[in-house]
Amino acid sequence: MNRHDLLLRIRALAVRPRVERELDEELAFHLERETRKHIDAGVSAVEARRQARLRFGPVSLAADQCRDARGTDTVDRLVRDVDYAFRTFRRMPLAALTIVATVALGLGLVATVFTIYNFFFLRVDAVRNPGELFAVSLTRTGSGNGANPRFTQADYEALRRETRVFTDAFAMSSDVGSADRIEQRPARGALVTGNFFQVLGVHAALGRTLLPGDDEASGQPVIVLSDTGWRKLLDGDRSAIGRSVVMNGAQFEIAGVMPEEFRGLGLTPPDYWAPLSLAPESRKTTATGADETAIEVVGRLAPGMSPAAATAALDAWASRRSAFDTFSEPPMHVRLTPRQGTLSVDQADAFFLFGPLFFAFGLVLMIGCANVANLLLARGLSRQREIGIRMALGAPRRRIVRQLLTESLLLALAAAVCGMVVSRLFLQSALRAVVTTIPPDFGLFASYLNLEAPGVDWRVLLFLLASAVVSTAFFGLAPALQATRLDLVRTMRGEVTRDARPGRARRALIGIQVGASTLLLICAVIFLRGAIAHASQPPDIRMHDTVRVSIETESERAAVLRAVTADPLVAAVSAASPTTRGILETSLPAGSMPVNVMAVSPGYLDVLGITIVSGRGFTRSERAVEAGVAVVSETIARQLWPNGNGVGQTVRIEPLRSASRVSTASTGAAGEPSRPLTVVGIVRDPVHDAGMGLASFRGVYVSTALETPKAWLYLRVRGNPELARQALLGRLTGLDPAFGILTLRAMAGMQTYLLEIGFWIAVVLGALALVLTVSGLFSVLSYVIEQRAREIGTRLALGAATRHVAGFVLSLSFGPVATGLVTGGAVAAAVATVLMATPAASDVGGWIDVFDPVAYIASALVIAAGCLISVSVPTLRATRLDPIATLRTD
Amino acid sequence: MTRHPAPDLLPGTLDLLILRTLQTHSLHGWAISERIQQISEDVLQINQGSLYPALHRLEHQGWIDAEWAVSELGRRAKYYRLTASGRHQLAVEAGEWERMARAIGRVMKLA
Repeated sequence: MNRHDLLLRIRALAVRPRVERELDEELAFHLERETRKHIDAGVSAVEARRQARLRFGPVSLAADQCRDARGTDTVDRLVRDVDYAFRTFRRMPLAALTIVATVALGLGLVATVFTIYNFFFLRVDAVRNPGELFAVSLTRTGSGNGANPRFTQADYEALRRETRVFTDAFAMSSDVGSADRIEQRPARGALVTGNFFQVLGVHAALGRTLLPGDDEASGQPVIVLSDTGWRKLLDGDRSAIGRSVVMNGAQFEIAGVMPEEFRGLGLTPPDYWAPLSLAPESRKTTATGADETAIEVVGRLAPGMSPAAATAALDAWASRRSAFDTFSEPPMHVRLTPRQGTLSVDQADAFFLFGPLFFAFGLVLMIGCANVANLLLARGLSRQREIGIRMALGAPRRRIVRQLLTESLLLALAAAVCGMVVSRLFLQSALRAVVTTIPPDFGLFASYLNLEAPGVDWRVLLFLLASAVVSTAFFGLAPALQATRLDLVRTMRGEVTRDARPGRARRALIGIQVGASTLLLICAVIFLRGAIAHASQPPDIRMHDTVRVSIETESERAAVLRAVTADPLVAAVSAASPTTRGILETSLPAGSMPVNVMAVSPGYLDVLGITIVSGRGFTRSERAVEAGVAVVSETIARQLWPNGNGVGQTVRIEPLRSASRVSTASTGAAGEPSRPLTVVGIVRDPVHDAGMGLASFRGVYVSTALETPKAWLYLRVRGNPELARQALLGRLTGLDPAFGILTLRAMAGMQTYLLEIGFWIAVVLGALALVLTVSGLFSVLSYVIEQRAREIGTRLALGAATRHVAGFVLSLSFGPVATGLVTGGAVAAAVATVLMATPAASDVGGWIDVFDPVAYIASALVIAAGCLISVSVPTLRATRLDPIATLRTD
Repeated sequence: MTRHPAPDLLPGTLDLLILRTLQTHSLHGWAISERIQQISEDVLQINQGSLYPALHRLEHQGWIDAEWAVSELGRRAKYYRLTASGRHQLAVEAGEWERMARAIGRVMKLA
């Protein structure tokens, strides 16, 4: 196709009437000129016109051939098909509406999942060449989980100075835990090096971005706001640039506002970006050293550098660097992961996460499509005459199939548009439901993340379009083929061709629907039973009167401690540092193993009600590592001292050192490296995880003081823990504005809550599936009975008993329903088996029982009951047919 | 009416004849058919009905261009004219035709 051709085709389509007029005019001119020639030769006008026409041949044929030369017939035919389809819809608006609504529901559900998937994994941030950006992380050979060294600012500077792998690299820290305030409003920020915006290649929407000069400690403190932060904190005031704001008590100047689409490589944008060097000022904490700030290093690969080559070069750099270490440690390795503003997880993990969701939501779409297919199969029968006439007039079968598919596709596209609306409504109401039902302590956290319904972009639209096309193939193709398989002679006589009765396709569709509903309902019941079991199981740690306090402002820790100790609502105070990893060394028998270490104050075991199996807990006087005592979990003790003589043994704990510089600065929660500890007690391992990993701790407890920095406080309160929590919150926020307090019950409630969410999703899907299946079964059976009224009437007239007729009608649906039930249950069991064979089995197994027989039986019963109800009405109608009336109509 | 039907043109030759007729100046459809008939001394009477689809096809291929102009009858007519690529195509097809005609001539004479 050349340029002329294209232009002419476009012209033929765009100004069709004009092109048609010109064609008529051209042909008319020819005839007139030919007539004139004959007149000039002396022939009469009438004879001249006759001869001219004779010589030219049929004008309409020539005109048609000229139109063919335009090459627009495909489009013309499409236009005619669309036109025809709209006429059909006008004739049967109810059927069209039902189809659109059914498919829209399914498409909307699938689009919802895809929107969320897109939010996490596909939406690349609006930065220059995101494919070149890689995050650098360090790993150590042979170290367990959680022991990977962290990047420090010194490491980052060395990386920039000593390697040429990246054109440039920046560091950032988005520590969500600390609650910042700008102008008294809570704000979430990220700390970045001054070159952050330049490396990403983004420009400010208002004002300027941060520059390398801003990242020097001497510079004027400035921050850059995200679009979200600007709207939230300053109500989108355009004159905000250059204004000074108070952040955590210090003055900052607003340098600029970033464009809306820029998220700073996060899933949602933070409210502001501040220079990393200002960390101590912007974060009101007693800085345990700038090196403590966990930073993430992201670089832009130099041109021509492959990720593999870069990893190798950085590996060499890292091992050179760790060689300077005074401690003999396994060498460091470097890993590069793409960093584009999406979650950087393996595709396999993403699939594992979203595969089941897509599958479950897709099932509802499939059931809807099956309903529509059934409807179209039925309509195909009633349209036999229309289709027969068209075929008798010479329309090829392919042409009619295409026309029927055009109808289906139009309906599916309309459904896609409605599906978009459905998915927005679904997302927004689901988010609102979560925000209103989430345990209140977590709701605050959610609002803090700037959560809102994930946006729609071209990927979602494309996905919807593709899904609409696939659904069309699913629900439209079989009915179209079936409808055009006709015996023309009999059709023209007005008979409905019985051979075309699509019984097999229909039975298969019912089977699929019942199977899919069974599967969804089984999931729902499994989740429900999991949530109930979880909520009713007594916890292994004392939760009913325990609250956890987090102190964010270290300088106020002593004051907060004084206040809670003196508070009349507080019965006991204890503290626990976050878990660290260490190497436990024993002398008798000699050996070493990596363990979790938790430094706790003497009251901790008592406040949490952890049972002591043998020996004793820490005494009041042993409230420092110097006391040289340790308490060991039962499982660990059994491994070390199988014959149960753990108490009284001496152990040492070597801290697993994190990155080179950090550990020397950190106040070792794991204790001085070489201090011997005497095991004074062994405690029982709580079995039932109450949430947040508290009860799942297995390892060594060492003693520490209440005042340990970064430790959480665990308080036993008097009376209702929720009331106590609120009272304490009110009293103590004055001391530490970021003060946080949670009841343990609320923390455990969060896990139950997640199960409940799973349950509600499965229940909504299962209910939709069941409703669609039952209504589909009902309409199909009603239709079949209408079609076979004559046969049934004849049976009745010949004396068949009512129960025989009822049995006959029931037998029509019994087979497919039974097959569906068995298949659905079998698929559920198969999926469960596969799931339990994956590494995730232990996680899943702790939450739910995927083989719960009650779930299987209950779902089967519910579905069977639903089907029985939907079948009973048509069956009753069949038995009440008046045989005489039925026979008379034919 | 007893008239010798016009001899069938060899396939593809209609395009060649049209292009050749338009080589010197632009003509409307009727004039093209007249001219072919005159020059061939009434041997080649092209089917007027199939002339126009051919013209439209050639126009789509970009070998001829069309514009409306006032004709000898005083009303407007669609005039066709050879484009640069049409001129090139004419040279190719004319060469091809020559070769074919010579070959057929030789076979007729010598076989």
